[in-house]
Amino acid sequence: MDLSLSEEQTLFQNSVQKFIADNYDLSTRRTLCASDEGFSRENWKQFAELGWLAIPFSEEDGGFGGSPADTMILMEEFGKGLVVEPYLATVVMVGTALARAGTPEQKAEILGGIIEGNILATFAYAEEQAHHELHNVVTSAGKDGDVYLINGTKSIVLNAQSADKILVSTRTNGNDRDTDGITLFLVDGDAEGISRQDYPTVDGLRASEVTFKDVRVSPENILGEPDHGYEMVEKISDHAILALSAEAVGAMEVLYTDTIAYTKQREQFGHPLSDFQVLKHRMTEMFMEHSLSKSLCMKATMLECQGSDEAKRAIHALKVLIGKSSRFVSQNAVQLHGGMGMTEELAIAHYFKRLAIIDSQFGNVDHHLTKFVDI
Amino acid sequence: MDTEFSQEDLEFQKEVQDFIEENLPKGGDMWSGRSNWFQALKEKGGWDVPKWPVEFGGPGFTPTQRYIFDLEMANHNTPMVLPFGISMLAPILMNYGSKEQQERFLPGIRDHSVNWCQGYSEPGAGSDLASLTTKAVLSEDAKDYIVNGQKTWTTLAQMAQWMFCLTRTSSDGPKQEGITFLLFKMDTPGVEVKPIVTLGGSQTVNDVYLTDVKVPVENRVGEEGKGWTYAKGLLTHERTGLAGIMNSVLALESAKENARSVKVADGTLMDVPAFKNKVGELEVELMALEFTELRTLASVSAGGSPGQESSILKLKGTEIQQRISQLNLEASGIFAAPWGRVNPGPRFSRGAMNGYLSGRANTIYGGASEVQKDVISKNVLEL
Repeated sequence: MDLSLSEEQTLFQNSVQKFIADNYDLSTRRTLCASDEGFSRENWKQFAELGWLAIPFSEEDGGFGGSPADTMILMEEFGKGLVVEPYLATVVMVGTALARAGTPEQKAEILGGIIEGNILATFAYAEEQAHHELHNVVTSAGKDGDVYLINGTKSIVLNAQSADKILVSTRTNGNDRDTDGITLFLVDGDAEGISRQDYPTVDGLRASEVTFKDVRVSPENILGEPDHGYEMVEKISDHAILALSAEAVGAMEVLYTDTIAYTKQREQFGHPLSDFQVLKHRMTEMFMEHSLSKSLCMKATMLECQGSDEAKRAIHALKVLIGKSSRFVSQNAVQLHGGMGMTEELAIAHYFKRLAIIDSQFGNVDHHLTKFVDI
Repeated sequence: MDTEFSQEDLEFQKEVQDFIEENLPKGGDMWSGRSNWFQALKEKGGWDVPKWPVEFGGPGFTPTQRYIFDLEMANHNTPMVLPFGISMLAPILMNYGSKEQQERFLPGIRDHSVNWCQGYSEPGAGSDLASLTTKAVLSEDAKDYIVNGQKTWTTLAQMAQWMFCLTRTSSDGPKQEGITFLLFKMDTPGVEVKPIVTLGGSQTVNDVYLTDVKVPVENRVGEEGKGWTYAKGLLTHERTGLAGIMNSVLALESAKENARSVKVADGTLMDVPAFKNKVGELEVELMALEFTELRTLASVSAGGSPGQESSILKLKGTEIQQRISQLNLEASGIFAAPWGRVNPGPRFSRGAMNGYLSGRANTIYGGASEVQKDVISKNVLEL
């Protein structure tokens, strides 16, 4: 048993830290968020050059043969830096799915392009009536001769505006909430019949409502087996949760350490705020929440790396803890910063908003607690 | 990074399991079999004192082996050992005691023939232990200390033959200085033990009154005035052992079993979402704490210090223990009430109330949770 980072992993972590230190102060991030696509293509090119887009993929697929543990290292640093580039959508969600279920042609065309940095992709899964239920899919793909016609609307599709490829979950059989009868299609982002309403999200990212109207796709566009796409949807969700949790762990670390630094320099009643015991204890609790979250993030990630049967349950547990801890840490960070905590000017406001959204992605605390206790 | 045990560790785990299978006293003879069990552990090569260093007869486990050993022992519910001698006093004697003291006291501690109790807390010195006032004055011939004062919350003093005790030999300078570590027999004239009945009705803790108790100078451990330093090391040791995480894992499983035995409407208590979710939340936190302990262990295995994470084990571990006892209590429903020798209602309900009541002490002893938070904020967060 060895929980320390390997030499390679430490070098990798250092390089991510250096990139963020050099490129990602708050005002730069603000500029990126306000730009047309909401992130920097220049940064994305650098990610490709640094090899970060190749990390989770096998050498056979043109990757570096990394594991979810390497993604965890990266996402934790991205969480500290509040990185806005579409890594989750492109690499973690669509990349993971392609690596697992893609045909050689799909891999060559799309996964290769993702690794090189030439293709951006996203996963369209959420629907308005579904709440957090991934198998609640109404968007349909009906057969029309040799092709399928996709009809329906997907919500909060991350970075859809920039996506060359959209992976979309559709209903090809059965009833609205059946786990069977779901098929995944890879569709061009600019395919005829797709319309988008693009918008910024509160945490500084980008998303869209994507409507499909008679979008024609051929059977070659299916990822995996027709009608059996749900297993892949769950896999994508698992990997996204691991990545989001690592991001949250990074964000929580910044929040509690920033709060410590702030209370040390802010004086009231003739003392630094950090002299007051009630605040010391609160910050101790913030530290504990972060530490426990990090532990469970490591545990769930390692179980997933090992392909363990216990991984699924640990991932539910992780999303529960991350949600609860994030709330505690981010709310208290604002509280202990006092009035300053309410301002857009300080970084903590932006971490606060990001963490609030992470809880809502791929199932919140209540959703995963309900699943956890039933396994 | 990997969490899998090495081949050697897996073999060691098997060895421990086989040993337990072969030697653990079965069923009814748990009590009479105790001494055979400890003898077998000893003959195995120091397994009776898993934490002792090799030069004192310990097995020289690596941190991972010790973790596996503790895990298997907890999983098989092996006989418990009182910590006072083996875990608390022995390390102090090994580090600070004289050769004579080590030879005199360690064998009796190891074979359980001498029971020890801990004389630390006083009516005026609880969390603020260094403010203790029990006085030890050197006699005119400099052969004995004469000890006067009162100790309290002394666990199992009524069964102990000896006490290790913190006394004040000087009031000059900071309160942490001038404290001296003494050992004396409980049948020394002037030692009087009075039980304190706690809210669970048990009589395990005591007041110990010390009136002109004569303690030979050779029973002083280390230097006069340095006792605080010795005890502080021991308190840290006590705290890491108090998280009881493996026991909590088992306790939570048994709490779930208990809840499944309670019929509610068409199902059991474990089908009631409000209850089930509480169990789930607790289990999630326990999973995180378990892995936090592994992180601590891994960092020690790699030759480092236990790391920041270790500081939260006692704090969170005891809170979890209390919440598990609360689940049992809630599962008992109205049968939480009957007291004494009767046990109507579910079988577990009598123990449930006991556990709930006595468990309130977990976040108080070994440094109250609030003191732990002070310690973490100062030492870890540098506040």
